Amino acid sequence: MTGLLGPQGLSDRAQLGLGIATIIASIAVPAMTGNPYWSHTFHLVNLYIAVAVLQNMLLADAGQVSFGQGAVFGAAAYTVGIASSLHGAAYPVAAAFGLLAALALGSLYALPALRVQGYYLGFVTLSVAMVFPELLVSFNDYTNGINGITRAVPALNLALAWGLTPLSLLVIALTSAALAGHAALRRTRMGRQMRVAAVSPEAALALGFSPGHARSAAFVIAAFGTGLAGVLYVPVVGFLSPSAFHVELSIFFFFSVIVGGRGRLLGPILGVWILYLVPNVLMVDLVNYRLIGYGVVALVIMLLFPDGLVGSIENRLRRRMQKPGSADVGVQWIMAVTAAGRAKTEPAGAVPGTAPVVAVDSARKAYDQVIALDDVSLAVTRGTIHGLVGPNGSGKTTLLNVISGLTRVDRGRVSILGQDTTRLPPYRTAQLGVGRTFQTPRVFDDLSIWENLQIGADFGRDRRRADWLFAALHGVEQRWRAQRPDFLPHAQRRLLEVLRVIAMDCDVLLLDEPAAGLSPEERRDFATLLSYLRDVLGKTIILVEHDLDLVWHVADRITVLEAGAVIAEGAPDAIVRDPQVRALFTGKRDA
Amino acid sequence: MLEVRSLDAGYGRVPVLHDISLTVNPGEVVLVLGGNGAGKSTLMRTIAGFIKPTRGTVLLNGREITGQSPETSARQGLRLILDGHRVFPELSVADNIRLGAAVHPGRGDFESLAGQVLDFFPILRAKLHAAARDLSGGQQQMLALAQAFVARPAVLLCDEPSLGIAQALIPPILEFLRNWARQGVAVLIVEQQIDVALSIADRAVVIERGAITLSGTAAELKQDHRVQDIYLGLGASGGRR
Amino acid sequence: MDELIIILVRGIGLGAVFSLVAMSFNVVHNSSGILNFAQGNLLVLGGLFGFFTLPQEPELVRWLLLVPTAAVFYAAVLAAQGYITLLPLRSSVEQHSWLITTLAVSVIISAVILIAQGPFALSVKSPFANFALLGTRTPTPYALAVLLAVAWYAALHWFHTGTVTGLAISAIAQDLEAAQAAGIRVRRLQILAFAISGAIVGSAGFVAAPVMSISADSGIIYVLNGFIAAVIGGLGSNAGALIGGPLVGVASMYAAFQFGGQFQNVVSLALLIGVLMVRPQGLFGRTRARRV
Repeated sequence: MTGLLGPQGLSDRAQLGLGIATIIASIAVPAMTGNPYWSHTFHLVNLYIAVAVLQNMLLADAGQVSFGQGAVFGAAAYTVGIASSLHGAAYPVAAAFGLLAALALGSLYALPALRVQGYYLGFVTLSVAMVFPELLVSFNDYTNGINGITRAVPALNLALAWGLTPLSLLVIALTSAALAGHAALRRTRMGRQMRVAAVSPEAALALGFSPGHARSAAFVIAAFGTGLAGVLYVPVVGFLSPSAFHVELSIFFFFSVIVGGRGRLLGPILGVWILYLVPNVLMVDLVNYRLIGYGVVALVIMLLFPDGLVGSIENRLRRRMQKPGSADVGVQWIMAVTAAGRAKTEPAGAVPGTAPVVAVDSARKAYDQVIALDDVSLAVTRGTIHGLVGPNGSGKTTLLNVISGLTRVDRGRVSILGQDTTRLPPYRTAQLGVGRTFQTPRVFDDLSIWENLQIGADFGRDRRRADWLFAALHGVEQRWRAQRPDFLPHAQRRLLEVLRVIAMDCDVLLLDEPAAGLSPEERRDFATLLSYLRDVLGKTIILVEHDLDLVWHVADRITVLEAGAVIAEGAPDAIVRDPQVRALFTGKRDA
Repeated sequence: MLEVRSLDAGYGRVPVLHDISLTVNPGEVVLVLGGNGAGKSTLMRTIAGFIKPTRGTVLLNGREITGQSPETSARQGLRLILDGHRVFPELSVADNIRLGAAVHPGRGDFESLAGQVLDFFPILRAKLHAAARDLSGGQQQMLALAQAFVARPAVLLCDEPSLGIAQALIPPILEFLRNWARQGVAVLIVEQQIDVALSIADRAVVIERGAITLSGTAAELKQDHRVQDIYLGLGASGGRR
Repeated sequence: MDELIIILVRGIGLGAVFSLVAMSFNVVHNSSGILNFAQGNLLVLGGLFGFFTLPQEPELVRWLLLVPTAAVFYAAVLAAQGYITLLPLRSSVEQHSWLITTLAVSVIISAVILIAQGPFALSVKSPFANFALLGTRTPTPYALAVLLAVAWYAALHWFHTGTVTGLAISAIAQDLEAAQAAGIRVRRLQILAFAISGAIVGSAGFVAAPVMSISADSGIIYVLNGFIAAVIGGLGSNAGALIGGPLVGVASMYAAFQFGGQFQNVVSLALLIGVLMVRPQGLFGRTRARRV
């Protein structure tokens, strides 16, 4: 199905194949040619690659800056060494402890990540990486300090066929699994979740999941894989000393990802090969220059190739392969496709009678001295379009944020579909069936067009409820899986965002200035789409807009805000004639 | 003199302005009207260099300045006063004004220019050593004007000078702008509310959804009903549905 | 009791060095949002400057002349670093390249020191005799570091409030767009901010050299402790840096005394995590959006 080229140039599948082939060859060739030096070197290199793959996932997919993976690696290795060498535990038992140690440390990184942003986390993890070897030396009663620990695992070094040992197979398996795991993760819900959370925590909340959970999951996964690599370090090297886990190791892992190309599957392999093999092997006399090597290469790469080496090659490939233009995402097409595939189902959580679907009661919100919402009430009936208009700073977006849960009111109540959502975290509100679009469409360029839709269905109330939509879109599925949305013009990105909200299968849509940037003709089409969403798909829509023309035509009821207070509410005909409203918009008192 | 030719611009990937052309001559006050979201601020920011246009040119006294950084254009004589009466809050009134003139260091007329503007806005002189954050919105707007005044720009762009200002303070601010123009400066003002600035303007244009749909002298537009209709979304460009 | 006084005195002295690193962080961070990882190694380079320029028996006049020399020399070095750090930020989408480029420069400096001078710590002789304070003999550089920190604090304050250039840098920190609209040459001033940070750490390294650890490995300790001092005081606030530094310094000295020298960094790390979890904005912190 997918060929060599995917949304990012070389498809993930192609990179995975190439990567695994490289890993296998790098172990098999020295084994078969009976070269112990290269065999040993590549065993270690592949372990480092495994760690770098996880660092890549953590940095590029989850957006977390960690300079502490070397400490996690070392924690696993040392725990194995201590348990098996100093306490006589069998290797598998020691390995289990080693993995636990890595998981504990690596997961701890998630805690500061929840509180502070990028570079703070970098400093904290860097401190940990610096302190780790010092602690190893200090607690030399437990760790043998600078004398180190020697430990071989002979069972793993039994010769099998072609010069390979069980250890070789384990290393191949681990590194390949890490790479395959990374590729697979991207196809899963959790992988999409991480990438969305890294780019826009707001969008994550609006799509129904917590970015903090996604981040923590990334740290745990990274810790697990890094721990396994650390566990294998002992049989591969046979000797542990604090200096092997110097802070420089953590920096090396990070730089490998950057140099190879963050986010690209092959990046860590290329990065580790360049940063390890060149100074440590090819220039072994100049081993002291290794550090300069890391620094200079990383610096030069960042200045010349901000996307890393693999990334730059890919960008060039992509530019040649990608056809500019459209993805046929048009209003007429959306309506046709969704009408054809739609089975008439009753919206879940049907609110009995004529109770409002969205109700805000006397909401009040203040930021320091500024009153954003002053005793605002709103009631939106099922299956209607309710417009929110007012000048800049009138509180429209704050009100929308209050309804979706991104902002919490100081006083007042919010209820949606009969449930009190006043104190609910925003992602739970989203899960009730509230979808939202943003002023700038939250369309993720790192995901394919298809994945952008999938993320909508991922956390909807019931994932299967969106199946009808994906089935209806079957005709474009293959194309959309291979394309990224970055070449789409703005209007289509907007429509893609709306399509995603339909995939969420929500009952309530909150649209924040959706017409911004659309041409007059596109706005006409959009008005048609809005009516369709209401009439055919039964959605309830709250629309914040500056384009009054659009609002008058499409809305059933309108609320007008000024300086945080409601100054008028009613049907469009009445509102447009209201002198207070006219004065508000034109500034003409005699309007 | 300011010339804008066939300007297209937006923010990020969102297109906002379409084919905007206008001219402001020295000594003139030209008003840019339009409802919320019409693209007025985007226009000012594009002319000043905060946004790079996707098409079109901007000329300052015949010289192309399209896409230059705002500080470069400011040093060449085109000055934007941002919306929201933005000044440097931690600095004193005096220091704010001093910074305004930093564009042209060593010019002898700083004292006289500063004196002029302080005469016009005596409250600034009274609060010369107060921190800017302690001033009211209207006073901050006066300070922003003073800061720009001492830089002696050839072209002045002013984004919504009346926004958030107490009613009583608006007339002196507008009068200052008109007098300033009469000194030979080309002044382009964005205003949200229709009547506020028409009284001091010479010409005006109305922007609707990123394009100029109406233009004329200030006197003409004052009478024209279509301006109101545009603001109320009742469409001068018609042809809906 | 004597030990506590020593801890206090030396802690404050050491803390003054951290304050200086913190102030150099602040100057750059305020104007461009960048945190220069290389500040620690640059401090060490300042010490190296002392190693190479001071004779075995240093005399006062020469020493006094070398302080500003070190400052100017490292101002130039940092202006160069600032230029290359800011370069990719002009056009690329990658707005966090500075994390990597400053770390890369830090690694390079560390490596150069390692190659040129080997892995062991170097020592620099102080031109002053030890002096007596509260019944203990204290190496003078500790006191000099305190004086230097206060002097730089005063100088920076004067610069930011009394000179047009300083006002302009301060303005960039307060409202970047308004500064641009006013014609302030932001990029140029951001590089100047780097240069000033270089003058601070260069002079600090030189003055404190006799009591510093000057080796390829010690840069990272100084940058981390300097960062912690900055965070405790509130990133961006020099008054905070002046207070945060001695706090970290005394805690560090106390940890060394109570638990042994190897635990100094653990205590620093614990302090950092503590502050970030409890009050991330520090003592005088203000949150201001920075954009390059």
